[in-house]
Amino acid sequence: MTTTTVNGRVESLPDDPDALLIDIVRDQLKLTGTKLVCGAGVCGACTVLVDGAPVASCLMPAQAAAGKAVTTVEGIGAVRLHPVQKAFMAHDALQCGFCTPGFIVEATAFCDSWRATRGAAVPSREEIGAALSGHLCRCGAYDSIFRAVADACAGRFDGDNVTAPRIEARDKVTGAAKYTVDINHDGQLEGLILRSREAHARITALDLAAARALAGVTAVSLLGDDKIVRYVGEPIAAVAAPDRKSALAALVAIKLTSERLPAVVGLDAGRKDDAPVVFDKASRKRAGNVSEAAGGPAPWKQNIRGPTAVFSTRAKKARNWVDEARQANNALLVEATFRTATQQHACLEPHAAVARFDGDRLTLHASTQQVFHLKEQIAKRYKLDHDKVRVIAEHVGGGFGSKASLGTETIAAIELAREAKAPVRVAYDRQEELSVAGYRPAAELKVALLPSEQGGLKALSVTAHADTGAATNSTIAGLARLIYPAEAKDLSDFDVISNLPPGAAFRGPGGPPMAFAVEQAIDEAALRLNVDPIALRKRWDPDPNRQRLYDWASGLEIWRNRKPSQNGRYRRGIGMATGYWLYLWQPNVKVEVAVKGGRIVASTATQDIGTGTRSVLADTIAREFDLEPSDIDVRIGDSSLPEGPGSGGSRVTASVMPPTLQAVRKLKAAMLEQATRKPAPGSNAPWRELIARSPDIAVVETRGEDGKNTAPGVRSPLREVGLIGMVFGWMMRRFSNIAVGAGVPSSVQVIEVEVDTWLGHVRVLNVHTGIAVGKIAAPALARSQACGAVIQGLGYALYEARELDPKTGDVLTAGMEDYRIPGIADTPEIDVHFDEAGFDHVLGNSVGIGEASTVPTSAAVANAIHNAIGVRLTEIPIRPDRIVEALKGRDAA
Amino acid sequence: MSVATADAISAPEYRAAGTDLSERRRSGLSCGAVIDLTASPDTIGIAWGADGAARIGALTAIAAIASDARLAQAYPGITAAAQGLATPQIRHMATLGGNLAQRSRCWYFRNPQIACLKKGGTDCPARAGNHLYHVAFDLGPCVAPHPSTMAMALLAYDAKVTTDRRSGLSITDLLGDGSNGAADNLLAPGERIERIELPAPLAGERALYKRAISRSYAEWPLVEICVRAVISGGTFQQVHIAAGGIAPVPLRLTASAAALEGKPANAATIAQAAAPAASGAKPLPMTGYKLELLTGLVRDVVERIAL
Repeated sequence: MTTTTVNGRVESLPDDPDALLIDIVRDQLKLTGTKLVCGAGVCGACTVLVDGAPVASCLMPAQAAAGKAVTTVEGIGAVRLHPVQKAFMAHDALQCGFCTPGFIVEATAFCDSWRATRGAAVPSREEIGAALSGHLCRCGAYDSIFRAVADACAGRFDGDNVTAPRIEARDKVTGAAKYTVDINHDGQLEGLILRSREAHARITALDLAAARALAGVTAVSLLGDDKIVRYVGEPIAAVAAPDRKSALAALVAIKLTSERLPAVVGLDAGRKDDAPVVFDKASRKRAGNVSEAAGGPAPWKQNIRGPTAVFSTRAKKARNWVDEARQANNALLVEATFRTATQQHACLEPHAAVARFDGDRLTLHASTQQVFHLKEQIAKRYKLDHDKVRVIAEHVGGGFGSKASLGTETIAAIELAREAKAPVRVAYDRQEELSVAGYRPAAELKVALLPSEQGGLKALSVTAHADTGAATNSTIAGLARLIYPAEAKDLSDFDVISNLPPGAAFRGPGGPPMAFAVEQAIDEAALRLNVDPIALRKRWDPDPNRQRLYDWASGLEIWRNRKPSQNGRYRRGIGMATGYWLYLWQPNVKVEVAVKGGRIVASTATQDIGTGTRSVLADTIAREFDLEPSDIDVRIGDSSLPEGPGSGGSRVTASVMPPTLQAVRKLKAAMLEQATRKPAPGSNAPWRELIARSPDIAVVETRGEDGKNTAPGVRSPLREVGLIGMVFGWMMRRFSNIAVGAGVPSSVQVIEVEVDTWLGHVRVLNVHTGIAVGKIAAPALARSQACGAVIQGLGYALYEARELDPKTGDVLTAGMEDYRIPGIADTPEIDVHFDEAGFDHVLGNSVGIGEASTVPTSAAVANAIHNAIGVRLTEIPIRPDRIVEALKGRDAA
Repeated sequence: MSVATADAISAPEYRAAGTDLSERRRSGLSCGAVIDLTASPDTIGIAWGADGAARIGALTAIAAIASDARLAQAYPGITAAAQGLATPQIRHMATLGGNLAQRSRCWYFRNPQIACLKKGGTDCPARAGNHLYHVAFDLGPCVAPHPSTMAMALLAYDAKVTTDRRSGLSITDLLGDGSNGAADNLLAPGERIERIELPAPLAGERALYKRAISRSYAEWPLVEICVRAVISGGTFQQVHIAAGGIAPVPLRLTASAAALEGKPANAATIAQAAAPAASGAKPLPMTGYKLELLTGLVRDVVERIAL
């Protein structure tokens, strides 16, 4: 038997040649700080040191570690935190934390070797970017990672003091934070899902007997009652077995016969008259949902659902005016067709659930954006008492909208656990994560924009066809109603359904594609009107939040020095764009603030998907009591706590802050009333003294309505568009438990790029992002979110696209090397400007930042590229192939 | 989870560091026996002949090649290629021999549920399907570009390969001409690479390597090239250009090299010599852009060497 040393302890290695080092670390030694993400050596989440060198443990055969010394993240900070760990904590160089252990391991090795050879010199961004090029962070924490690594190398974190703006940061930099995939109950089984190989088929026989006959194997059917599968990867059955290898063998043993049905794949084929129909009338309710809220009624013929055109106003007028302008060759009429790609959420923690029954009580650990609502959905689906279901998500490795429903991983885990009478874990592999776990649908947008002769906006027409797969309810064009008022708007949304996996909500659903098209059209109009693009937006967009952001943007030096397009190989350009999202909050959200055993404890059944909810609560309460955030215990991630909001629609902060503040006020009053001894006169910490001596008191408060008095121009954007908006708002509240508040969270971005016209490469040099989401509750974390939103937007603009086989719909980009998310070296300098006004009517004055901050990025990049090379790129991602194609035959550099 | 339904590879496979094989084992694509290679003095490390020629053992780590100062002096194109491939963690593990003998990165090949020529299938699904990252020189039935950056750089250096059975193989002898779509190399079953021999460097030669990708790092090349040149008296003397990412095997760009040799080392010559880089190309419907990148890359790298 061979051995290796892991974190200083001798451990035995199995003889199995297929055992990998990560299996030993995670499964045998339960060192779950090391994460399995891509399984292909691309993302670096599994990085460990072997004899001091960082390696990908997901690829390294376990036997190759024989006789060597392995150090995992747990071994790095075991005695004393490494300066890199302290720097990551202090700079908030992390969000969801799932990639963090890998970054920490690599960065400590880099930092140690840098300091050994270079002393106190500070590594450049380029040097850090190259050293960490084997790591990916989907939240986009790169900007802070640069600063953390540089400061650690410079010796600025050698002392013992460390402060972290994110209260769970220590757990994330040491690998102690437990995610759903890390849960390991005694006797836990591993569940796998059998998925369709056909794009469209009727399953004529599903025989689980041979699989069930295998030792320790449980199998359940996941087929719908119509027995039809509508995309490659649709779940058919699930198996559970003591380990992954036997579960795989059980999958192979399942006997399946099917009758292939004609299939149709994608936006163009799906629109053809003779395309096979994906959902007949009876099965339409099986379609998924690509938005954050439930959809309204819409026409639905064959594979085309739409138009949804409720947000049009004087649509016919708009069409007529555009037609007339076209016939008159009106030079001001801007018309173009834009195409956006399918963007995968690519959460680093896969969709995962661990179900355990204790008698009739179900405990479910889930990687979810909605612990409370998921509990309710499970109770309803399985007819269980609400108090017998508990959903736990202590840490969630990214969600971005994809983990906001009761998904197959949860259904399979519950049904397998019930059948097997044993705990079952179902965790998607990377291929599943990048194919069937949801995506932002690709879209085709036809835009016509007509300025009036007086320089106003006369007509705007947007027709969007979204590539929603086996799902519906895309709203892209409709979002163009709530910005740039015009004399007439013709806005139509269509879902194009085909035999592809269902899309899902993704960070500002519909927002980025709308902005990519409309913001380029506005830019083009500014060119034709010979008006500065910011000045034109200031003229056409009266929203008070954005008016202030336009003033900020037009004052930026980079904008004032903007030049027309250039010649030569490398060409620089500057572009800008605007984005917004609705201010949403969730009614009935409850927060308990209590004093227990002399400490303040805040509890609500929400979750932190990397957005910083714990710190928003801790910072807010600490400010009220004049304490440190670390003095506050925050309990979230557990459905048994008071009803909390889902992490979607940027609604968490705006839902929890008001009841928290109300509860604090009442708690203060109760404490003062019950205090047997008042604080010493002149005490500089009266609340600290009171809390320490207070009997236990708990106050639960519910999110109330916002104040009616708003600043001039601040209204509900839905109210502003009249009756239909009010109906829409009522429906959101009634069917989706989401309220639309007054005021519009907004973002204006100014971006500088450099285009290499020979190699088609676009380098983003600088991003200035101005954000108006009210008062910033947790500044360092809000900055992290703002930077991450830009980085995800850059991925959308430049790199990310799901690629398919055009016939079968097989997702070809089902690994992290082919689905390309931004890396640290692709990260520009990011300047974040917060305009904190605009939400005085909200208790606490804060609304969410997550979505508004990512909407304008792709459009600003495209406008910057146009400014650089004089060509408008109408299709994203703007990859090298598209740049060289666009420049082909033009002036050679 | 997917179950491999296409023909998996059930023949025994050698394993050096496993950076390619482990992923194929996990996906079920490789399911035969695994034979671990163990290093001997002859198969690991860099040795030097009296004439200044280097010999690199097949089990030498890519990172060791990338950081070897003497190698960087004598064969800068080799060390630059080693520095430019994969990620730091992979370079610490992966070996030179493994890099040469790795299997295709084609997204159809890597999907265990799709049949293809390299998995015993009868046709290439990428050809009629989605071949965005595939060849622009259509030299055989399979349209996947060869994945080995080191093979491309070694081709520029006229390196010779020694296996446990044969010696003196050129890179073309090792990888073929692209007409065999079923294989990624021409090693016989059970044959393994032992070492690589590089000819002594030319007096005064310079060399550079570069890949065109969409992001900054850690991406398989859309196009990559390695250029060696001797410039004396302001004139290109000897020029060797190899390119990868564009054909089923690495290619020598002889037309561009010929257009440079004997000409003055200036921007005009270089611009003129870049265009013939694409001569003989047969792009697929989605890969025409690779020719633009190829000529851009030749111009870029030769300029950096010469100017």
